[in-house]
Amino acid sequence: MAENENMVTKEAPLPGSSTQQEIRDYYSPLRYGWGAFCAFFGFSTKTHRASKKRAKLVMDIATYLVLLFGAFLMVYPFWWMIAGSFAATYPQNNTPIFTLIWWPSQSTWTMTLDKGGVKEPMGGFFNYIYFFGDAFASGASMAGFAEGFTYWRALLNNLIYSIVPVVVGVITSASAAFAFSKIQWIGRDVVFMLLLAAIMVPGPSIMITQFVMYSDMDWQVNGLVLIIPGMFGSIMTAFFIRQFLFGLPTSIIEAAKIDGAGYFRIFVQFILPLAMPAIMAQGLLSFMGCWNNYMGSFIMIPQNSPAINLPHAMYVLNNAMFQGNQGPNIAGAVMCVLPVMILFACFQKLIIGSLMLTGSKE
Amino acid sequence: MEENINMSVDEAAVEPVVSAEGESVAVAAAPEKPKRRINQQKLQDNIWGWIFCLPLIIGTVWFVYYAFILSLILSFTKYTGNDGSLMDAIANFDVYVNTGEWGAAHWYYDLFNYTSGTSQSWQTQGVVMNEMGRYLFNTVFYMIGIPIGMILSVFFAVCMSRDIKGGNVFRVLYYLPCVASAIAIVYTFKIMFRTDGVMNSLLGLKDFTYPDNNKGFVWIPEGVNIGYSWCTLLGKEVTVSTSDFMKDPFWCQGLFSKLVIVIMSVWKGLGGTIILYVAGLSGVNAATKEAAQIDGANGWQIFWKVTMPDLYPTIFYNIVTSVIGGLQIYAEPELLFSTSASSAGFPNVSGFVALIYKYGLTNNKEYGKGAAYGFFLAIIIFVLTLFQFWLDSRNKD
Repeated sequence: MAENENMVTKEAPLPGSSTQQEIRDYYSPLRYGWGAFCAFFGFSTKTHRASKKRAKLVMDIATYLVLLFGAFLMVYPFWWMIAGSFAATYPQNNTPIFTLIWWPSQSTWTMTLDKGGVKEPMGGFFNYIYFFGDAFASGASMAGFAEGFTYWRALLNNLIYSIVPVVVGVITSASAAFAFSKIQWIGRDVVFMLLLAAIMVPGPSIMITQFVMYSDMDWQVNGLVLIIPGMFGSIMTAFFIRQFLFGLPTSIIEAAKIDGAGYFRIFVQFILPLAMPAIMAQGLLSFMGCWNNYMGSFIMIPQNSPAINLPHAMYVLNNAMFQGNQGPNIAGAVMCVLPVMILFACFQKLIIGSLMLTGSKE
Repeated sequence: MEENINMSVDEAAVEPVVSAEGESVAVAAAPEKPKRRINQQKLQDNIWGWIFCLPLIIGTVWFVYYAFILSLILSFTKYTGNDGSLMDAIANFDVYVNTGEWGAAHWYYDLFNYTSGTSQSWQTQGVVMNEMGRYLFNTVFYMIGIPIGMILSVFFAVCMSRDIKGGNVFRVLYYLPCVASAIAIVYTFKIMFRTDGVMNSLLGLKDFTYPDNNKGFVWIPEGVNIGYSWCTLLGKEVTVSTSDFMKDPFWCQGLFSKLVIVIMSVWKGLGGTIILYVAGLSGVNAATKEAAQIDGANGWQIFWKVTMPDLYPTIFYNIVTSVIGGLQIYAEPELLFSTSASSAGFPNVSGFVALIYKYGLTNNKEYGKGAAYGFFLAIIIFVLTLFQFWLDSRNKD
């Protein structure tokens, strides 16, 4: 453009101040056409001024395309998981799941099983039924599970580990948060800094000592290790509920005090209901964390104990049994993911809202 | 206690009545009553403040601080799983105390000098590196996912915070991997990245037969210590035998296997950081943006000069937490490459935590050694975090 201005002494006509005819005469047809082309897609040039509406439309479409592509990448492995759980891999044929892209070449819906010369349909949920039943039944000897360990036991363990400590822990965290945000007591700030400093201690670096402590207390084989420590509450949860409580007016508590309520009553009747959104969101997030807690069980609980949780059981089963039959393994993966997915789908507004508010991850 | 509560309740109930009756009564009552009430209230505050905090304090002191101090003591002993209880070991510290090159700090000496299994060819050939160095290198290698994830998530967050319809739907979809169980994700990726798997189909590597005749690109090796690297791909004569792969320098071994972990962790972590950035972007000053627009700044300039400075605290928080989390990587590489339930630690791919697990909780259960390695990790994380805060403070001046 700079060259153009040097060569031609006449001042370049601008869109808006000059007529379109002047501009067309001034620039070469190719340049003018290019300007029209750009303007169509919302980019202003020296020849044409694009409308803002058009620019926004084009950018919106581009944004949608980018986001849709990203969303596809995010969701595709989950679709793959679901499709894979319907691959007919029994007894020793993993090809349909290994080569799977959209839908397995041989799915459990169409394949038949040879039972003593009689062909029977496999049943669409063959892999799931196999995972719930036979996998764990033969896993007792092959993988070294405890006698009589079933999928349902693993599921029950997982539910206990992710409900009991979370419910109790969120309440103890909320009570600490209440004390930190609404009550003035001696040593409050010192204690708070002390607790916050504990976040700096990375879990893996004290995991050996914790292992020895728990094994001395006999908390491992019976699974108490995944229940009791969680019941004391978590510092991060307390921290975020505290941030939420700062937003509540103190006058409510003052009014309650004047009406003769003690702190315990204030906590149960005012703080818990009022802070429910924050408590629920933090509770759900910890529930998901506990549900997926593979490392806690793997490090702390021996694999022949009936107290191992679902991810740990899946790990043991996969290593011992699923080398030749991956379908049930992926069905198990779906069963690990599905409950938290449903929970997340139900409460996504609350969870995402809380994450955006507190700026926490996970 | 009981009496105190009753008294304060009585006074609290009386007070409004007094003020309602008339000023003169209130003034007459003023000199004595408020003073006592405040003291009562203070006592109440102190008692209940401590009671409400007690569970959290006990939990933190017991499971974090106590364990941390014991860890430090244990790291100077040769206490193992075959010895007595932990209390016994602490009480008889002089019996269990380590003796070695650095005296009690023998495990820390060991950390820098131990080369395990030097009889295996893959550990002596190429660039020799001690064990801790190899595991630390892997850990740091996985952290290249942090800047990649950061750029991607800022990009997607900027896209989502345009005023388009359905932005919330995208936010939820992108967050899905974050709530999914790591083990399910790992088993899925393990099959997707097979030689005949979907990834090789999509990337056109299904018929890739170099350097061996294996059909398809080997992302995740079947054996323990093998895997393609740049060196194998760039013309080194390689047969299928394991040991030849291992003639590569240590930093090169299992390069593409590590890349799978990086891809997986970026994919899994993206949603969480996107939500953070969307929250950060909604806090960006709209008036400043508009002013810049009127002054003739284009979108690119607005992004760098207006949006990014406002987003800086979020980015800083994100980097700090990602680095702390990244140094603690354990489950993903172990799960992706394990072939039997007893396997622990792969020098080519495992993170540093695998080393703690390997020495502390398998074989001889050398608790002291595990504790020392763990303490070293804590020091690394602490120093790195301090360093980041120092950079941040220097940046602000």
